[in-house]
Amino acid sequence: MDIKLRELSDEELILEFQKNNTEDAFNILVQRYKNPLTNFVFRFLGDYTACADVVQETMIKVYMYKDSYSSVAKFSTWVYTIAGNLARTEYRRQRRQNIFSINDYGEEHQTYDLPDETYRPDVATDSGIKDEIIQKALLKVKETYREAVILRDIQGLSYEEISEILGVNEGTVKSRINRGRAQLQELLKSIYKE
Amino acid sequence: MENDEKKYEDVIKALKGLQEVKAPANFEADLQRRINSENISKEEKKSFWQNIFSPSRLIPSLGLVTVAVVIFFVVDTNSEEMDNPFLIEPRVREDVFAVTDFEEVEKKQEELSKQKLLKKDSPVIEQRTNEGQLRSSELKTSEDESIAGREKSDFDELLTDEKDDSQEQGLSSGAYSAVESTLTTVTESPQPTAPTEADAEVTTGQSITKDELNFRQIQLNEEQQKAVNELKNQVQSLNKTSKTQK
Repeated sequence: MDIKLRELSDEELILEFQKNNTEDAFNILVQRYKNPLTNFVFRFLGDYTACADVVQETMIKVYMYKDSYSSVAKFSTWVYTIAGNLARTEYRRQRRQNIFSINDYGEEHQTYDLPDETYRPDVATDSGIKDEIIQKALLKVKETYREAVILRDIQGLSYEEISEILGVNEGTVKSRINRGRAQLQELLKSIYKE
Repeated sequence: MENDEKKYEDVIKALKGLQEVKAPANFEADLQRRINSENISKEEKKSFWQNIFSPSRLIPSLGLVTVAVVIFFVVDTNSEEMDNPFLIEPRVREDVFAVTDFEEVEKKQEELSKQKLLKKDSPVIEQRTNEGQLRSSELKTSEDESIAGREKSDFDELLTDEKDDSQEQGLSSGAYSAVESTLTTVTESPQPTAPTEADAEVTTGQSITKDELNFRQIQLNEEQQKAVNELKNQVQSLNKTSKTQK
C-alpha cells in the first residue's frame, strides 16, 4: 500500500487523503514538501526556529482544510501559497515586535543597536560565511521582490507557478524578480569584487 | 528575458549556490503531536451561537447593557439640569399682550364679547331666515294677494319681534342690520316667482309637491261647494259651446 502511494503524484495523494482520509498519503506529502518549504520560508524569514513553526503550521493547515483544495490547481502552488501567507504574517509580526521591543525599554528616546548574531566566525565555514552574507542581503531586499526572487532563483519554480502563488500576473512577477535581483546585485557588490 | 538573466547571472548563481536548508529531524513527530492536539481542541470547540448564548457570557453582557441604559438616562437628565438659565432665551408667550392704554383693552374685550354673542345667535337667525324664505315662496304661489299681504304683515311682526329679542340680548346694531338686510331681501322681492320643486328641496331637504305647498285650502260649506260646482258646470258648458262653434 505504502509503495503504491509513493508512486502517486502530489495531486493524486491529496485526492486520496480527501476522499478516504488516508493518513499515509498525507505523510508522503509531508515528506516531499517539508524540505523545500523549510528552505523557502527560511530564506524569506532568516530565522530557523520561526521557519520550522511556519512549515509545521502550513502542514497542519493542509491537514485541517484538505477539502478546500480543488484539483484544478497544482498541489505545489496551493501549499506554497499557504506557506507564503503564513511566512509573510510571521515576518510582519517579528518586525512589529522588534520595533516595539527596542524602543520600549530604557530611557526616553534612547535606542539600542542589536548585536549581529547571524555572523559568527567561530561557527561559520568559508562557504557558510558566503551563505550568511547572501542571506543578510536577501533580507534587506523588499518583501514582495524577495519572495519572487526566492521562488524563482532558489526554489526553481516557473513564472506561471509563481504568478499563481503570489496571485499576480506574469508580467508583475518578472518585474518583481528583476527589481529584486537588481537590489541584491547592489548589496552583494563586495562579494563579486573578491 | 534572457538578457535579464545574463545581466543578473552572478546573483542567480549565488542564489542557486546557497545550501539547502532542511527541516529539523523531529519535524514529523512534532507535526503529528500538533495535529493530534489540534484535533482535540477542534472537538472541544463550541459553535458560535453556543459561545454567545452561554450563561457565562450572557449574564455579564446583559448587566453591561442595563448599566449602559441607566447611565444614558441619568446623564441625559443631568445634561438638561446643567443648562445655565441665564443663557436660555425666554419663551415667547402668544397669549400675553403688551398694552400701554387701558381703554384699548376694554374696547377689545367688548369686541370679543360681541363676537362671541354673534356666533351663538347666528344659527338661530339662519334657521329663521330659512323659515322666512319658505313662507315667501308660499306667498309667491298663492293667488290671493290679500292673504299675501296679511302674511307679509305677520312676517314684519315677526321681524320686529326678532329685532326686539336681539336688542334685549345685546346684539350689536351692525350685526342686526346685516341680519335684517338678509331677511328683507327675501320678503321684499318685487315680483315673486313661482317656486319650483327644486327650490323647496334646497330649503327643506325634502321634495314637496305643489298640492302639499297649498296649505291654505279653504274648507267650503255645502252651499259654497254647490255654488262652486255650478260655476264649474257653467264654465264647462261654455267651453263645450265654444268648441262646437269652432
